[in-house]
Amino acid sequence: MSVEAELLWAEKYRPKTLDEMVNQEEIISRLKQFVKSKNMPHCLFAGPPGTGKTTAAHCLARDLYGPEYHRWFLELNASDARGIDVIRTTVKEFARSIVPGPVPFKIIVLDEADNMTADAQQALRRLMEMYTTTCRFILIANYPSKIIEPIQSRTAFFRFTPLKPEDIIARLKWIADQENVKYDEEAMKTIYEISEGDLRRAINILQAASALGGRITVEAVYKVVGRAHPREIREMLKLALDGKFVEARDKLREVMINYGLSGLDIIKQVHREIFSSEMKLPEDLRVLIADYAGEVQFRLVEGADDEIQLSAFLARLALLGKKFKV
Amino acid sequence: MPEVPWIIKYRPKRITDVVDQEEAKNEFIAWLNRWLAGRPDKKAALLHGPPGCGKTSLVEATAKEYKLELIEMNASDFRRREDINRIAKVAATKSSLFGRKKIILLDEVDGISGTADRGALDAILELLEITKHPVVLTANDPWDPKLRTLRDQCKLIGFKRLPKRAIISVLKTICQRERLVCEYPALDYIAERAEGDLRSAINDLQAVAATTKRITLNIVKAVVYSRYREYNPFEMLRKLFTSKYLWQAKAALSSSNLDYDMIKQWIAENIPNQYSDPEELWRAFEALARADQYMGRIIKTQSWDLLAYAMDMEAAVAIAQKKPTYRFVKYSFPQKIMLLAKTREVREVRDALAKVIASHLHISSALAKSEVIPYLKVIFEANPRYAARLALGLNLTENMVKYLAGNRYRKVLDYLKRFRSGETLTSRTTIRRRTRSK
Repeated sequence: MSVEAELLWAEKYRPKTLDEMVNQEEIISRLKQFVKSKNMPHCLFAGPPGTGKTTAAHCLARDLYGPEYHRWFLELNASDARGIDVIRTTVKEFARSIVPGPVPFKIIVLDEADNMTADAQQALRRLMEMYTTTCRFILIANYPSKIIEPIQSRTAFFRFTPLKPEDIIARLKWIADQENVKYDEEAMKTIYEISEGDLRRAINILQAASALGGRITVEAVYKVVGRAHPREIREMLKLALDGKFVEARDKLREVMINYGLSGLDIIKQVHREIFSSEMKLPEDLRVLIADYAGEVQFRLVEGADDEIQLSAFLARLALLGKKFKV
Repeated sequence: MPEVPWIIKYRPKRITDVVDQEEAKNEFIAWLNRWLAGRPDKKAALLHGPPGCGKTSLVEATAKEYKLELIEMNASDFRRREDINRIAKVAATKSSLFGRKKIILLDEVDGISGTADRGALDAILELLEITKHPVVLTANDPWDPKLRTLRDQCKLIGFKRLPKRAIISVLKTICQRERLVCEYPALDYIAERAEGDLRSAINDLQAVAATTKRITLNIVKAVVYSRYREYNPFEMLRKLFTSKYLWQAKAALSSSNLDYDMIKQWIAENIPNQYSDPEELWRAFEALARADQYMGRIIKTQSWDLLAYAMDMEAAVAIAQKKPTYRFVKYSFPQKIMLLAKTREVREVRDALAKVIASHLHISSALAKSEVIPYLKVIFEANPRYAARLALGLNLTENMVKYLAGNRYRKVLDYLKRFRSGETLTSRTTIRRRTRSK
């Protein structure tokens, strides 16, 4: 019996070099110029999730420094590294350490930089200036507008665009062929639609659908998506609309604790549910719910408490449910 | 087997173990040494100071170290004639040449009520008259008028309220010995609340440890608060929800010493207990949600002048009802806090798993939780063999497999065991070979 350890396909089939990247042509050619001249400025990679920002940073470093590039490469995630102090210390240590090799500068990648507060970004700006002779920063963000002006002006800006449907579908098919998995044409289109242009999500769905065994069909894809999204969210909405607030809140807690979802994750999924065909709601009710969901999302981004805001949302649903007699 | 109270388990065995109070210790030892040398200046010492600052502990530790037999008696028992006789008999008898010397401790003498126990005070005075052994009395308030005559017969030794750092250091030691994982802010919080009373701090710690081995600030707040009647959240809620006017509601909120975050949690938990009408429920929650929004802004921008608005909105929860109704409402403890304490282990496994995935895919843990783990769960529940291959490749722990596969975890683990024992290829070489062949 031959058994191979398996990886997540999103990693297994991640391009290793800039040449292997199949999209973002304009960006890739600019990055290749950096490789050619063996120099680069600080960079800001911005664009929606799953469009190749992190991959491009790794490929660039590999093309510059070869397969051992990790020795001169520091990757930090602003959402995980708690506070600017942690970032400052880590960067300082990394920048100071001397790693022998024919390398003019080290590369520091800071992912989800738009999640940093303005103050933390100011501190980051100072760091960038302090180590500018020995290090280059690549900042990665979903929303470039959330990056402060002084940083934007100190970085070369790269806007990653959502992948074209044919690019995503071609990539999915290529992976399926590598894995010897049979598929229906329609299934690939469905995956693309669900992924909303996010290649990582598309590949995750593909891998999960293939794990169900047999051919990848539209049904298999829907099965995966149905199971991956907590049923509890829909049940929670139904309970709330039914006026059963306490039960709905229990479901909310279950989702938050069991799945570890943040308030933002939940309100985004709620938004999707409101417009799904599974929820039979009058159109004007959908609008009212969506409007309040948007308000709650804004408050959460502002730093309000997940459970209290979502409880208010559920209380709102209970009231609307009674008025509309759903 | 019920656990020994930690205040007993960890009471000081030597004089140096008694925390702080150096001045009092020196005075006490000097007094005792003069006694043992046969020339006492005063026959009794009255140790006084706030509760839990080490008065009794010092006497006990000293007795141990000086190898004295400790005759201990709580002063409130002192009205019983036979006890008085017993002590008096012991006190009056000089120990034989080879017998152990004795020390007599009368705890909490201010617990004697002046008029009703007139006899007890007389008995103590009589005891001091005849005693051939050192007598130690303790009291919280030595200036109580009823103790005046007694005070004149005693050497007064004052104990100070223990500083917070001293309490924290004792708590830390206990945590280490009990193998508790403790957050510093949690201990700091307990010590702060104890207000110099080490005994109550240790009791609090034990109460918290009875629910969890991981002492976090949140759990401490949940458990410790309920011990203090003056901070009674139930009372605060009752006052809040029966307020007719906003000023009453605000007074109710500020009467409580709970911090803002906890007040929020208590109110959120109990709004549905108070209001069942959907309109009222919504109005109350929206008011609280607005208050919460202000608090978020305060934290973010440090503009504490917004606090007034937060309090206004929180008070508005009270006037959410359409017309006043009077009924008895049973309020409950915030379930969120209990749930967090109960689900700690599962959450730790999930967070560790998210970290593994995050570093594998170069994403944040949050994204791993919302975008990747759900699909992994689908795989682990549907296809145990494939799941085991992934577990091998990602180097997942048994607990992570259990988390992902739910009640099908045994199958996955079986495959995993087979793969691990039967395979000569390590995961790394496998991956490399495949990349090369591509």
